[in-house]
Amino acid sequence: MAKYIHEIRDPIHNFIHLDSHEREVLDSRPFQRLRYIHQLGLTYLVYPGATHRRFEHSLGVMELAGRVYDIITNPINIIHDSVRNVVPPKDSYKHVYWRLVLRMAALCHDLGHLPFSHTAEKELLPEGWDHERLTLEIIRSDEMRSIWDDIKVNSEDVAKLAVGQNSYRDARFNDWEAILSEIITGNSFGVDRMDYLLRDSHHAGVAYGKFDHYRLIDTIRILPKEEDGSLEPVLGIEQGGLHSAEALLLARYFMFTQLYFHPVRRIYDIHLKDFLKEWLSSDYFHTTLKDYLKLTDNEILTELSRAARDESFRGHDPARRIVNREHFKLLYQRNPKDFEKNPDAANAIFEAVCEEYGEKKVRIDLYKQSNKGHEFPVLTDDGRIVPSLELSDTLKNVPIVAVDYVFIDHELREDAQIWKKQNLESIISLKEEDNS
Amino acid sequence: MKRLQRDAVILSLIENLKVNGSWCGETHIQKATYFIQELFRVPLGFEFVLYKHGPFSFDLSKELTAMQADRLLDVQLQPRPYGPSLVPGDSSDLIKRNFAVTVKKYHSQIAFVAEQFGDKKVSELERLSTALLVTREIEPDGSLESRAQCITRLKPHVKIDEAQEAVMAVDQIVEKSYNVKTT
Repeated sequence: MAKYIHEIRDPIHNFIHLDSHEREVLDSRPFQRLRYIHQLGLTYLVYPGATHRRFEHSLGVMELAGRVYDIITNPINIIHDSVRNVVPPKDSYKHVYWRLVLRMAALCHDLGHLPFSHTAEKELLPEGWDHERLTLEIIRSDEMRSIWDDIKVNSEDVAKLAVGQNSYRDARFNDWEAILSEIITGNSFGVDRMDYLLRDSHHAGVAYGKFDHYRLIDTIRILPKEEDGSLEPVLGIEQGGLHSAEALLLARYFMFTQLYFHPVRRIYDIHLKDFLKEWLSSDYFHTTLKDYLKLTDNEILTELSRAARDESFRGHDPARRIVNREHFKLLYQRNPKDFEKNPDAANAIFEAVCEEYGEKKVRIDLYKQSNKGHEFPVLTDDGRIVPSLELSDTLKNVPIVAVDYVFIDHELREDAQIWKKQNLESIISLKEEDNS
Repeated sequence: MKRLQRDAVILSLIENLKVNGSWCGETHIQKATYFIQELFRVPLGFEFVLYKHGPFSFDLSKELTAMQADRLLDVQLQPRPYGPSLVPGDSSDLIKRNFAVTVKKYHSQIAFVAEQFGDKKVSELERLSTALLVTREIEPDGSLESRAQCITRLKPHVKIDEAQEAVMAVDQIVEKSYNVKTT
């Protein structure tokens, strides 16, 4: 097949370039499905502009992954011998092959997402399944295999980089593969995060997610992370990019606290999960690809709308709460005064409120950031490699995102607030274990 | 084990490692926790995978971050070549006090692991923990030589004599661990 370069306009990256092989993936049914999966679920009910889809995000991740690859494998950017051994020589077969694999993996990294990008996978998928496993299954499917065979790419290589070792725990990653998967899913400089912060910020109309990604990407390097006799090649940056790295991590903090964990967005997500649990006839989404790929937000929205109107429909109550905007209201949120007395204060309050008002009237939402990503090596202007925390007070002080919410039926909120005020101290006091 | 009980065990492990000479970077805590789970089956529930430098648990890494969010742990910078240390935070006493029963239950296992590994460098811990993983999961019946070769296959930066030394050391530690009295 003749190889052409295609261009797609994009609000974040201006143009996204892809070749004919990548176009084949883009044209595939699993990838086209992403046109109908909202990137931020029901967030558009709070931030009306946030109607963008996984489709354009995946293209953006591919674009950025290619840019990072070109920077970090450029011989003038490889300054340490231990790194030189890991990176394939520029323009070698391996160099070209892994660039293709990386961009394909970036393109495919979200293929397994549930409708509305829903994160309640434990409750909506059978045991042992999550969207990463579905992504792996899709990449290995017959439908996609014909593309991989055609372009002579090993599907397992794409699969490993697409989901990373955190999610593909059976696979063994060598140093090179670990670095490549870090380009996509890494905690410090993963392009998945870079793209979603920029894109979500743009569409939601909030400025918090913006940072100088051009400068940041230009300064990313593979550097040895030295620790007490151990050398580990990881993604780091040149000192000139340190402020951009700080801006990225601050952007993440603000986007999580202001947008992703906006309490109304979170309660809509919980009502949607409740609806899906009731609506799904087998309790879970089908994991056979034929059935799974048929389901998008479009099908769910139609059902949600029907259920909201019809009391006899499965999932009527949570559906009407979303459609009629009768969502539960915030009763309690995490605060330093309480979690210093009991780190599980929100859970204790949730259990007590359930006992007082009944489980059906109360919901809990707990989240803690899984990895800070603040520690990475920095190549200083005088050629030393120094831990980021040694150079940046900002990085040391970026808070960890932690959100605990307890919600209650809006009709009970006033009464529950009085009750909470009277009982809070006794509920959250931490009891000592007994010996029995 | 519930989350706060588990946190109490981790805090006790950190204190014991420190007493035994460790500077308590995340790698020390990762490897020591792996040994506690693997040698004594302490039910902490962390899943470990063979990562760049030996067994690593993404769940534990997440928990250590959560503990920082809850002020159970703090980060303290160390002079190079050491990385940042994790030290008990402002709220850690509360957890230790309230979950003293759990800590006491696993005290001898924690103390054993801290004594064996507290003074080890990160690179040694990587080799030892990989040796235990190979012995337990990949070549349970393998000779010293074949296990050492397996380590160098999995981790090409480890030299064969270092791998052999690690396998021998781990065999001795496993043997000693049988004498640890558990409650």
